[in-house]
Amino acid sequence: MKWINLEHLLLPTIAPRALTAAPALDHAGLCAQALQLAAGLQQRKVRRLAVHLEDAGQLAVALLGAWRAGAHVLLPADLQAQTRQRWQGEVDLWLSDQAQDCTLEELCQAALPPAALELDTPCLSLCTSGSSGEPKRIDKTLRQLANEVLALEALWGQDLGAACIIGSIATQHIYGLLFRVLWPLCAGRTFVRKQLPFPEDLQRASREQPAFAWVASPALLKRMGDNLDWPALSQVRKVFSSGGELPADAANALQQRLQQWPVEILGSSETGGIAWRQGSSLWQPFAEVQLSQDAYGALRIASPYLPAGHIEQSMDAVEFVGTRFRLLGRLDRIVKLEEKRISLPMLERALLEHAWVEDARLGVVQENRASLGALLVLSPAGLHALRNQGRRAVTEALRSHLSEHCEALALPRRWRLLRQLPYNAQGKLPQSEVEALLLAPRPQGPEVLSQTQVDNQLQLQLLVSPDLAYFNGHFPQTPVLPGVVQIDWAIALAQPLLDQPRRFAGMEVLKFQQLARPGDTLALTLRFDAERGKLYFTYLNADAACSSGRIVLEVAGA
Amino acid sequence: MSDPQHSLNHDIKQLIIEALGLEDISAQDIDDEQTLFGEGLGLDSVDALELGLAIQKRFGIKIDADAKDTRNHFTSVASLAAFVTAKQAA
Repeated sequence: MKWINLEHLLLPTIAPRALTAAPALDHAGLCAQALQLAAGLQQRKVRRLAVHLEDAGQLAVALLGAWRAGAHVLLPADLQAQTRQRWQGEVDLWLSDQAQDCTLEELCQAALPPAALELDTPCLSLCTSGSSGEPKRIDKTLRQLANEVLALEALWGQDLGAACIIGSIATQHIYGLLFRVLWPLCAGRTFVRKQLPFPEDLQRASREQPAFAWVASPALLKRMGDNLDWPALSQVRKVFSSGGELPADAANALQQRLQQWPVEILGSSETGGIAWRQGSSLWQPFAEVQLSQDAYGALRIASPYLPAGHIEQSMDAVEFVGTRFRLLGRLDRIVKLEEKRISLPMLERALLEHAWVEDARLGVVQENRASLGALLVLSPAGLHALRNQGRRAVTEALRSHLSEHCEALALPRRWRLLRQLPYNAQGKLPQSEVEALLLAPRPQGPEVLSQTQVDNQLQLQLLVSPDLAYFNGHFPQTPVLPGVVQIDWAIALAQPLLDQPRRFAGMEVLKFQQLARPGDTLALTLRFDAERGKLYFTYLNADAACSSGRIVLEVAGA
Repeated sequence: MSDPQHSLNHDIKQLIIEALGLEDISAQDIDDEQTLFGEGLGLDSVDALELGLAIQKRFGIKIDADAKDTRNHFTSVASLAAFVTAKQAA
């Protein structure tokens, strides 16, 4: 295996190099196809093209062909209508697996002659969500990419040897692009064409190879079960993980099963690789990367993988320990859900555009899988919808509204409907508070707005929370406050009136006259007659009688 | 309504709802033949990974990692139920 620099990949080579299989493609075949594509692109005068291909071999052809033609490649994160619309004006052509777009085959023409690729003009744009949530384009020169693959080879080339590269992640992002495509191409390693997101497929592909390495992410690595043949898998030369921090227990489990620590890469679309770690909590910067901190402790990065002279200001707070560092968390409201970068402010803005939403805040719910949760204040129209169509209709409509703005993965799975958001005196709502509220169970009791006691009588103003736990089943499409819950509330709220501990013993003259529904304010009057052991209750809903009756309370233990 | 097939389907729906933290959806809302991933219930590949682990744990079975296309069993509740039944009989 002889290293070929990225810019020289299309120059003729003598030694045959295998590249990938199913269908088989070697280096010479790759060059031939890329030079044909280059001719086709030149003929059509394509200067910029968007590429979204699942097959890493085809992607290699597309990239090298476009670069040979002097065309600029944009790698969109997905092919959703919104994404297409966003980039439509910036590209001449879409090359993808979707029927409406061009295929490699139809673009190919009689090949251009081989030539070295231009290193210093921007040749690639990656797409990511910027801090405002707007999709952001990040331009790279070939030199930035070439520098990075050289550094990777210097660090791990020897350990990998002739390993076939098998990936569980897509190649549209910087990590997959470098590790699954560009690095193996330069190093002369074979790679598996398709992304294999499931452990069983990863195992089968691994077993077909005499030597293999994984380019994976925490989403997979923390969910690999006992059903796998771990002794066979422990032949893996290296396990790479990137996209988010791998939890320590997942790293430990891998170490136990594979007798080696996974190599974690810290990086971003903007910066490329920043640092790596293996079996340690501390990150080791890549050799040529220079790090510093701003006044807030956020990492600043200078690196040969960035444009020359550029210093990238990240929003990751860090703490240095010698030359290595610890990550302390984000300073903004960009979160990662299973390695996907999500801008909470962007989704909140999108939610606020909906007529049913008065106010909204989002947070991450960490359960088996990480998902978003929404704290929501409904507008009058939203409350009307909740009362007449039920909770599911409301959350489904909002999810469907949001799906025009984000991937399915970012759609909130948990919703908490509040009367108002609990902003603090500074008008802020700390993210920790948002997340605590999302973890709290839905309320079962009323919100007591006021209460006054005169002798043996108690007057209360109660708010029926729009989010009451009982509403889901009672009834799914027309939530009403169950009568039995009204009685429970009356007994619970009457405790200060009672002369001694008492328990429920029966009901008398029970009347339910009007429904109480989500968001209603109820006036509850409670009077306790100790002599008879009876609690008189009356609920009024906007001055109309809602329910009333007598609850017999006998002395506990009598 | 107490036949074992129906009750297994119900158990699987309940497992999907619990393992994946789905709110406002009850077992009755999921059809036996409904597509679980992508369109349909709108679950993604991370849910598929979670569900794979949860199914193995809950029913004490193992997904045969060397068989081809094991993930086809995850298409719908009905296909998952058939898979669990076959595995438990084996």
